[in-house]
Amino acid sequence: MKADVETRPVSASAAAKARGDVLLSVDNVSLSFGGVRALRDVSFDIRKGEIRAIIGPNGAGKTSMLNVINGFYHPQGGIITFKGKRRHDMRPYLAASQGIARTFQNVALFRGMSTLDNIMTGRTLKMRRGILAQAIYWGASQREEIRHRKAVEHIIDFLEIKHIRKTPVGKLPYGLQKRVELGRALATEPELLLLDEPMAGMNLEEKQDMSRFILTVRDTFDTTIALIEHDMGVVMDLSDRIVVLDYGRKIADGTPGEVQRNQAVIDAYLGIPH
Amino acid sequence: MILFGQVLEVLIGGLLSGVLYSLVALGFVLIFKASGVFNFAQGAMVLLAGLALVRSLDFLAARGIPVWAAVMLGLLFAAVIMAITAWLVERFVLGPLVNQDGLTLFMSTIGATFVLEGASQMIFGSDVYPLRLFPNDAWFLFESVFPGGILVNKLDVWGGLIAGALVAGLAVFFQRTKTGRALRAVADDHAAAQSVGIPISWIWFVVWLAAGLVALVAATVWGTKLGVQFSITFLALKALPVLIIGGFTSVPGAIVGGLIVGAGEKLAEVYLGPHIGGGIEYWFAYVLALAVLLVRPQGLFGERLIERI
Repeated sequence: MKADVETRPVSASAAAKARGDVLLSVDNVSLSFGGVRALRDVSFDIRKGEIRAIIGPNGAGKTSMLNVINGFYHPQGGIITFKGKRRHDMRPYLAASQGIARTFQNVALFRGMSTLDNIMTGRTLKMRRGILAQAIYWGASQREEIRHRKAVEHIIDFLEIKHIRKTPVGKLPYGLQKRVELGRALATEPELLLLDEPMAGMNLEEKQDMSRFILTVRDTFDTTIALIEHDMGVVMDLSDRIVVLDYGRKIADGTPGEVQRNQAVIDAYLGIPH
Repeated sequence: MILFGQVLEVLIGGLLSGVLYSLVALGFVLIFKASGVFNFAQGAMVLLAGLALVRSLDFLAARGIPVWAAVMLGLLFAAVIMAITAWLVERFVLGPLVNQDGLTLFMSTIGATFVLEGASQMIFGSDVYPLRLFPNDAWFLFESVFPGGILVNKLDVWGGLIAGALVAGLAVFFQRTKTGRALRAVADDHAAAQSVGIPISWIWFVVWLAAGLVALVAATVWGTKLGVQFSITFLALKALPVLIIGGFTSVPGAIVGGLIVGAGEKLAEVYLGPHIGGGIEYWFAYVLALAVLLVRPQGLFGERLIERI
């Protein structure tokens, strides 16, 4: 274990380079499952409008971190502040209603439904008509459905998946499934979008497409993005700042250039001679 | 002509009693579709709904309330009881188990079964209570064509009509509404559904409420047929082959499965029974289900799951 590795503070240059105010901050968050300590005193922040990468070797606690941010896990210690408010006992659907959306490491789509219906589920929170009105499907309820359909069609156009609108997602190739999942997350109109390995298992062309979508989402949808990714080329190209985790600890935090030169990061990825 | 008339009579009787199996199976399908849980407690819910209905009817009738008002109030009371049950199940049984394995959830419904069976009999009594909501006599059709006509039980016809209306309503609810879409989403993936802001606890409440109301409908028909009593919970066992044949995830499958089981077991009893000693009716459905499992494990209308390895 690398218990003696020191935690580097956020460097001044990185802070200066960041685009805006802090959107989400994580302070001294600790999470353990029984005896396994998945996260130990991790602190970092995500600023408005940036693309923030979380990287680290397998089992470093990256996905656990995302699960804490969107309320699947409840950390034993530490403070999470989102949009200036300290959060208590977060539930995933509350996180969604406050503007946090995500995709999953293993694609988590509603397999039996079409692409269109999958993305429509992202509008759930935005639809207001009661159960009875929906059952009758009349008047205001129908107009509401049509209005949300328009928003969803816009996303479908943007992600270039028009040709598979009616296809059950279980039948789609992996790369397209990942794209549909991104679409579903976008349909919630998130302020903070969490992407867990958006390029895993993709070929070069698919990765380029996905990178393009991520950048466009940030620039035109005005969404802040936190992503986990193993492809270092992609991470270095896309992200504004990077947090590096190893064995549940933060070992580095800074711009891609700074992280690449960091000795602790190099050791974590390449191993230290014994 | 006599033979044809007899076959027709057995077939119609079988199909209609099959519809009654479907009514019970529907409750299972609803919960399975929306939470991936095989709800062992569905039979106990039919018992609870039936007891709540019949006991409140007795109570109101004894106070001289007109029959139509008593029926209305009784149904309302039973519906409220099912809503409370749905809330309790969500709050104390399933709620704490979100994102757990399907088998864990299944085991928890076995626990819920015993609690429901015990509590409902403790509160409402454990005798056999006769229920008379629907006529239970018979029609004789086509008396001019077939000697003696074809016997059709009026209660079974009522059951068929009710089941038809129920399926139509559920199909619209699942396919056309936001809540229906949210239900299907939760069924497919708990975590993903939560991440787009679907509150699972609310959805599960809605599902268990719907299943509870379907149980109430089943209880009105079955209670009229058999009287409301503990053995009504064993209907759950008859619903099992219906589900295997029709597919666990399909509302139309529950109907078709019920029809096949109902017609199959009556025809087998009458025409196969005498050759192998009778009593076929009690196990025929299970053998049929076994055969379907061998040929088409997902059932006739079930979704075929393809696992990535």
